Amino acid sequence: MSVARKCVWIGALLLALVLSAPATPAQARYPDHPIDFIVPWGPGGGADLLARTAGKIMAHDLGASFPVLNVPGATGMVGMTKLLTSPADGYTLAVLIGDTYALLARPRPAFDPKQVIPLAIMIQQPSGYWVSTKSPWKTWPEFVASAKQHPLKVAILGYGSADDITTSYLQTKGLKLTEIPYAKPVLRYTSIIGGHTDLLYEQTGDVRSYFDGGEIRPLILFYPRRLTIPQFKDVPIGTEFGYTVDLPQFRSIVVKAGTPPAIVKLLADELAKVAKTAEWKTYLQSQYADPDSYIPMDGARQFMNAWLDQARKFRALTNMGAR
Amino acid sequence: MTFVDLGHGLAHVFQPFDLLMLVTGLLVGMAVSIMPGLGLVMGVILALPFTYRMPIEPSIILLTAIYFSGTYAGCFTAILYRIPGEPMDVPMLWDGHAMAKRGAPAKALGWALVAALIGGLVSSAVMVAIAGPLSSVALSFDSPDYFAAVFFGLTTVVALAGRSLPNAIISLCVGLLVATVGIDSTYGTDRFTFGVPILEDGIQLVAILVGTYGLSEVLTRIGQGLRVSQPNDADRSVATEFPTLSELIAIRITIIRSTILGTLIGIVPGAGATITSFISYGIEKQYGRRRHLLGTGLPEGIVAPQIGATASVAGHMIPLLTLGLPGSGATAVILAAFLLHGVQPGPMLFQDPKSTLLVYTILSSMFVSVIGMCLLGFFWIRVVVKVLKIPQGILSAIVVMFCLVGAYANRNDLADVWMIVFFGILGYLFEKFAFPIAPLVLGAILGPIGEDSFVRSMIASGNDWLVFFKDPISAALMGASALALGYPLLREVLSRRQRQPLPASGGPR
Repeated sequence: MSVARKCVWIGALLLALVLSAPATPAQARYPDHPIDFIVPWGPGGGADLLARTAGKIMAHDLGASFPVLNVPGATGMVGMTKLLTSPADGYTLAVLIGDTYALLARPRPAFDPKQVIPLAIMIQQPSGYWVSTKSPWKTWPEFVASAKQHPLKVAILGYGSADDITTSYLQTKGLKLTEIPYAKPVLRYTSIIGGHTDLLYEQTGDVRSYFDGGEIRPLILFYPRRLTIPQFKDVPIGTEFGYTVDLPQFRSIVVKAGTPPAIVKLLADELAKVAKTAEWKTYLQSQYADPDSYIPMDGARQFMNAWLDQARKFRALTNMGAR
Repeated sequence: MTFVDLGHGLAHVFQPFDLLMLVTGLLVGMAVSIMPGLGLVMGVILALPFTYRMPIEPSIILLTAIYFSGTYAGCFTAILYRIPGEPMDVPMLWDGHAMAKRGAPAKALGWALVAALIGGLVSSAVMVAIAGPLSSVALSFDSPDYFAAVFFGLTTVVALAGRSLPNAIISLCVGLLVATVGIDSTYGTDRFTFGVPILEDGIQLVAILVGTYGLSEVLTRIGQGLRVSQPNDADRSVATEFPTLSELIAIRITIIRSTILGTLIGIVPGAGATITSFISYGIEKQYGRRRHLLGTGLPEGIVAPQIGATASVAGHMIPLLTLGLPGSGATAVILAAFLLHGVQPGPMLFQDPKSTLLVYTILSSMFVSVIGMCLLGFFWIRVVVKVLKIPQGILSAIVVMFCLVGAYANRNDLADVWMIVFFGILGYLFEKFAFPIAPLVLGAILGPIGEDSFVRSMIASGNDWLVFFKDPISAALMGASALALGYPLLREVLSRRQRQPLPASGGPR
């Protein structure tokens, strides 16, 4: 091989190397590596399903994967801490749900709502009270009549939760209710089906199987309007009895405050597309969620602030104190 | 009818892809359960993403197979190297490892295999037959019953005490104390967190286990200059040595007792294979015919916890299928797999003819899994035993690597790595000053469940302490606890009065 030919070969190789290198090495395009999707709950729950469904649809569009990191603990606080300690570069998303958000209404909250940017409210599920189908209560007024005479047991998630706020509110209305905290959902559902408690506070989707299976029935839901889902359209809502509390379960997707606005917009637009897909509508249906759950970024912050204000107001009203 | 359904299900299991997933699941389960810090729950979690694109039957078969073999393969490392891959393998250290140390590792492995086979098959058969009535038993478990069950579990500490009861109780209290770290689940109060975020979620069980057993074992070995003799003669070709029929018949009571216990405790939501394994061993220690010798390498001490652990799998699957109630970490992930495929387990599953096939495919896959697991285990042991030829120094390094990586992989947090180093040193000191480690681990596992159900019982009953004695289930369990606590104390007092030296039980440490 002649020297000239060698030079041509080397030149060609160098050219190939130059061409294969990216034009601008850093931050050429967002996303250029996988985006962590923090789920502050264990696998299999509603939040986990949300991240996996949304992540799958977005991965298809953005060409980057959304690996789900389950970081359970402390009602979602451990996962939120992980988000807040990650860099605000748009490569970490988290699911923030109503149960975790309710903790911010307590004295000395763990973080400020301003530390996160909500990209969208992806799902809203009305919460309400359920009784076993074996129980004598067919309607809410029947239950109220019993609860005013003698104390009844209510299975709730824990003190300080939306469950606690709503139940404490009803106590101020003269209902004799004893709150029994069950941190594990399984035990909560076992307690109502097994007859250890009289009433269960839960959102629609989480108890779907027991409702479909005829084990429990809803007596009342707390939501601004009656649900359009056929199975729930006859279930009364709180305002029909003059109750002003409604703290529906919501699940939002958030990034850390300080994330570049362009990336925030890109992700929010992407979630808007996700909410329009048939796959997402099927997901909402499977969760017995409000079909009009989705709230885009510009309304999400307002929704969450109003939610928190309401939680604070009822806490003050019900003397929940440090709980 | 059940049998016809089961036949249809069985035919489904032997379809090529379903069978492939079953074998894959068995291998994955074995791989993760012998590595400290991974464990079967981690195995099913890691396998979950792979099931997204599969049909539902092979998905559930895959996860169930991991679950089954995960309750079994952990005994390899526990028996051979004194490294429990999982909490449930801890009782395997006492008699299993003792038997291996005595020069019969093949026999110890054989006993474990037979126990897993019997426990798995019998409990699966029992559960298929009486799924309905048993699910209502699980439903009737209320907080006082949970507390009584946990309290009974804690009293087995007396059985596990070995030579010094005070040391065992101190160790148990340290375990209970460790379990209180974090935000308490009832009132949301920070306890011993010192403002450190990672402590808010409590100390991970994995850190305690991997530290006190895995790492402290290596530290002890280093302390002995790594010259400690290998647990058995690695040069000899060691295979599984099955117990003879007469040996099996000799311990038939243990077999029957552990199978019934494992299946029954399995259906209680929350009581995982670990609790079953401990209780099964504890009962053996209390009421077994040769209880005085337990801990020295008796087959009963291997068979009881292994049958208990494997039998609990079938127990857990039934409330999951009939009620949608996951009773353990692994069944929670299997529930997730159901949900990801748009199927909600529950009473409806048995009513729809289409899903009846699914249910019975899963049930019959349990039988195939148990048999397949034992076949694979038989050959896998030969491979595992070869690891014995690795020099102590290198083996220790590998163990430390798995320990540290396992601790990190759990939550992707370096703090967990420091945590296991801490527990490693603690375990080493415990070992050095003759404090048993088992009560500490038992306290850390059962503490939170016990506390939670105790507080809830108090809230529900208006602080009535008698609530634990009002319900037949909890009253019976409290009675059994009283017996478990009182009998050894009485025995000790009596034997002291007779001025006889205590039998050298060589208690488990």
